[in-house]
Amino acid sequence: MAISDKDFEQLRDFIYNICGMYFHTTKKYFLESRLARRMEATGVKTYQDYYLFLKSPRGTEELKFLMDEITTNETYFFRNVPQLNALETKLLPEIVEIKNKMGFRKLRIWSAASSSGEEAYTMAMILLEKRATLLKDWIIEIVGTDINETVVAQAKEGIYNAYSVRNIPDVYKRKYIKEDNGKFILSPDVKKFVTFNKLNLYDDNKMIFMKTFDIIFCANVLIYFDTASKSKVVQHFYNNLQPYGYFFVGQSESLHGVNDKFKTVHFPGGFTYKK
Amino acid sequence: MDKNAMLEKARQLVDKIDDLPTIPVVATQVLQLLDQPDVQIEEVADLMLSDQVMTARVMKMINSPVYKPEHEITSLKRALVFLGLRHIREVALTTSFINAFDENKGAMEIGAFWEHSFGVGMVSKIIAKKVGYPDLEKAYIAGIIHNLGEVFLSNFMRDEFQAVLDSIKDKPVKLVDAEIEQLGTSHCEIGLCMARKWNFPEVYCEVISLHHTPSEAVIDPVLCAIVNLSDLFCSVRELNFGGREWISFNLFEEEAWQILKKQSPQFAEMDVERFCYELDDAIPDVKALVDSIFNSKEQAEP
Repeated sequence: MAISDKDFEQLRDFIYNICGMYFHTTKKYFLESRLARRMEATGVKTYQDYYLFLKSPRGTEELKFLMDEITTNETYFFRNVPQLNALETKLLPEIVEIKNKMGFRKLRIWSAASSSGEEAYTMAMILLEKRATLLKDWIIEIVGTDINETVVAQAKEGIYNAYSVRNIPDVYKRKYIKEDNGKFILSPDVKKFVTFNKLNLYDDNKMIFMKTFDIIFCANVLIYFDTASKSKVVQHFYNNLQPYGYFFVGQSESLHGVNDKFKTVHFPGGFTYKK
Repeated sequence: MDKNAMLEKARQLVDKIDDLPTIPVVATQVLQLLDQPDVQIEEVADLMLSDQVMTARVMKMINSPVYKPEHEITSLKRALVFLGLRHIREVALTTSFINAFDENKGAMEIGAFWEHSFGVGMVSKIIAKKVGYPDLEKAYIAGIIHNLGEVFLSNFMRDEFQAVLDSIKDKPVKLVDAEIEQLGTSHCEIGLCMARKWNFPEVYCEVISLHHTPSEAVIDPVLCAIVNLSDLFCSVRELNFGGREWISFNLFEEEAWQILKKQSPQFAEMDVERFCYELDDAIPDVKALVDSIFNSKEQAEP
């Protein structure tokens, strides 16, 4: 069943207001097909009824199922290219300059929902390439955390499938990935810069010890949190950043109304939050 | 760099060009007619209709999803009524400007240039509405024409301009700063000289000259700030001139943001993130409009 513009806009606004994730018009058909699955599972007949169901008291649980359908859980290397470009072109040199002035040559990066490790290792590859130039004699520390122990173990292992590595530029692939029987094995040179641990972002006692990061990534996780938890977790991220640090969320995500201390910094194809 | 020296340099560059495009005869006549007291819209419409290309482009501009009249406007006279007498002058000038520079002979791709220009026009109109600026059409037109000077650089100083573009490729350097450093002037001053030659109204001259430095404006700083911010937003979404410039900006530190916040305190509460995403959604409309303007020769009803 084709979704009307009105129904699409209504659902898009609802998802945006509750989850902080914007559905671009280009993704209308994608949303339509995923909604169809949920409507079949719940026995709801029309988009309008499904919208009313989401808004009802029982909707909170249903929204989680819907979000599972509409966010792809699989991640991959070099996923958010505009973000990476912004880091390389402007943000990283800026942080390095500030820290050079302070004589503090250590870079700390946190991938706060690291899943199987692709985001954290992508940063490791990019920084490794700068070891001879921008980051000469710098200490690099990258931390990946996730609530799910299975994915943390996978991340530590560093073995990937073709889907995960398909976006890695050749220059990196040649250096840091070895193919073996359809498996793609990450070089120990990259792995040694990254540590992975289990962490629940709701755990205040542990969150307060994640200190002094220059850059934090947390993509496609906050969309599952209610507003109060979101505010609390984002406040932790804010506190855990250096005064000049940056906080990145996923493509199409928004922190509007969640935290009024972060400032938006815009770059081609995206934006980030600056402390 | 000294502002006066930059303006003087721009004047020399513009004066040196013998075949600088001029306003079409009809546009000049329209402007003269508009200066007469008690002019009637019918007279202006009759005069404009003698130039089919101009008529077609006015119609396309009015009926675009960007302008959004409630019903499609099919006659030029009704289009002019919709615009109001006060805006016919600007539309005549804008369509003349489009006519003068619709060929792809410069250093930059003219289609991408117009997509950026119309994008800035559209976003200027949206921001104008958000801040309660009283004249949305003025904001739209100011956005379309703000980069007049860049077409000059691209067409008449092709090699020098190409060198400037090459020098900033993938670097976080603003084009306007690179122009000043390498050419001793920028598209702002050059645009101003051209706009004066074409007798654009002063308020538009100011936007062309100060759209990167809105706090220096005296006639209409709010309009300059609207166009400045709109230009920045378009430059980081997909109306970015085919990526010829790598821009980043901290919104709250922009002088335009400060000016507009003062103008309208609720503007500061704007959902900036959503604004960017909605802008992405509007890009196909802008591209379709530009395509229709440059590929349209059909005639409107009188």
